[in-house]
Amino acid sequence: MENLVTLMGDEKKFTSVSIPVPLFKKVEERIRGTGFTSVSSYVTYVLREIIAEEEKQEDDDQQPFSKEDEERVKDRLRALGYID
Amino acid sequence: MLMGLDCAPPAIIFDRMKGDLPNLEAMMGTGLYGPLRSTIPPITIPAWLVMMSGRSPGRLGLYGFRHRTKFSYDDMWIANSTRMHAPTVWDLLGDEGMRSVIIGVPPSYPPKEMNGVSVGCFITPTTEGEYTYPPEAKAEVERVSGGYITDIEFRTDDRDKLLRELYKMTDRRAKVVRHYAEKGDWDFMMFVEIGLDRINHAFWKFYDTQHHLYEPGNRYEDAIPDYYRHLDGIVGELLEILDDDTLLLATSDHGAKGMRGALCINQWLEEEGLLKFKSKPEGISKFEQCEVDWENTTAWGWGGYYARIFLNVEGREPKGIVPQSDYERVRDDLIARIEAIPDMDGRPLDNFVLKPEQVYKVTNGDYPDLMVFLDDLYWRAAGTVGHPDKYLRENDTGPDDAVHDWNGIIIYKDPKRPAGRPLTGAKLIDIAPTILKLMGASVPPDLDGSPIQPIIDLSNEVSE
Repeated sequence: MENLVTLMGDEKKFTSVSIPVPLFKKVEERIRGTGFTSVSSYVTYVLREIIAEEEKQEDDDQQPFSKEDEERVKDRLRALGYID
Repeated sequence: MLMGLDCAPPAIIFDRMKGDLPNLEAMMGTGLYGPLRSTIPPITIPAWLVMMSGRSPGRLGLYGFRHRTKFSYDDMWIANSTRMHAPTVWDLLGDEGMRSVIIGVPPSYPPKEMNGVSVGCFITPTTEGEYTYPPEAKAEVERVSGGYITDIEFRTDDRDKLLRELYKMTDRRAKVVRHYAEKGDWDFMMFVEIGLDRINHAFWKFYDTQHHLYEPGNRYEDAIPDYYRHLDGIVGELLEILDDDTLLLATSDHGAKGMRGALCINQWLEEEGLLKFKSKPEGISKFEQCEVDWENTTAWGWGGYYARIFLNVEGREPKGIVPQSDYERVRDDLIARIEAIPDMDGRPLDNFVLKPEQVYKVTNGDYPDLMVFLDDLYWRAAGTVGHPDKYLRENDTGPDDAVHDWNGIIIYKDPKRPAGRPLTGAKLIDIAPTILKLMGASVPPDLDGSPIQPIIDLSNEVSE
């Protein structure tokens, strides 16, 4: 069951997901004394990490530059001394 | 508000131009300031991303502007935002509902989704295409700036033109920065002014009296200080817009110093018998234009502010010849040989060579086998071949009088908590966790950096 909560305008959207109370408590225990300020921010961070790992291959296969653009960028980097 | 001053060196900001940069000095006078240790390698990409993610180049899998695709000889990819998988400060702040505006932070092309606004950096191929997130922001940026410029065309000997373009770019970006600063609908804002880096590289020899090409009384002697003063004025205008609740940071990704020479790394490897060519074009040519005799090649290199050396390893490279069992021995032998390379007059150079796995706890992505720093960065490396001599007095690919240095700068100011003292030991990788902590956001414990304690201590003092 997901519940969409909108905070402070359209761009700050949060949704709540349900996790078992014992797991919540375990996480709460685990993040004590670490830099995480809440269970939500810990869960978000971990999920982000997992998703990033899964999307990595897909992202790395992307070609954001056209051939022409790539040559243009390379020429510029060469002139700047970053590559030769 | 983070003001990114790409390539600003401590020696100029804190010493040589003392008394000449009133706005930055006002920040220093009531804030904390000092050198900011850059990354290994101290290069714009990966440095800004390390600063804004708190993760090492090894974790990010980002070792410079270009990378080999796996272990191919000729396939390479250019650093861009799609390769950046680690969350940045604005991603993490966004997760907690905070909004950011980031302008020109490399690599920010292609534009990525975020909670806020992103304006592309100098990796953007052309401003004719999309370079903002959200895409609608482009019209606003173009309108406010009068034609946004991500970078200047550097390959020119017409230095007057270069200066005109540089000021035009900086002033137009400043308009965009002021525009968003005034709008105020952000929790975190950051911009990177790349113009400092460009002016340092193009005009250093006219300014640095120690440079071997310096001529007293030359017509560009004031180009660098004039530009720094101009930028300081822009900082002043920005500070007038911001309220007393805005924490201020000015940082640079690395420093700068005069270039003493360049070593043609592939010519050197050829002389050492470690690199063989089947054929080479006449005259000076790029390495990729040569036909390499891979069956008889042990190692080859890429140039830049540092050199990357790749070994031709059996079972790894398509035509690898170095047996896996010999890998460490060959690397150690190369390290010893490179560290012993003298300058063109036979004087010793302060070269050092690092193995990536010694530098980083994790080495992701397409890392080199060796990272070479010539004469503690005073010398750069050229990958091109066919030069009459392997030593070059000047860069092989255009005007470039300056190289990078290990220390950039940091100035922190909390308008409500005056300080006015030097800060020592700050590291670039500590900036992201420091910002997160200052803003009350979660600081992931697996970051490679940690909050800068004197800044956190200051923020805990009772405000005025």
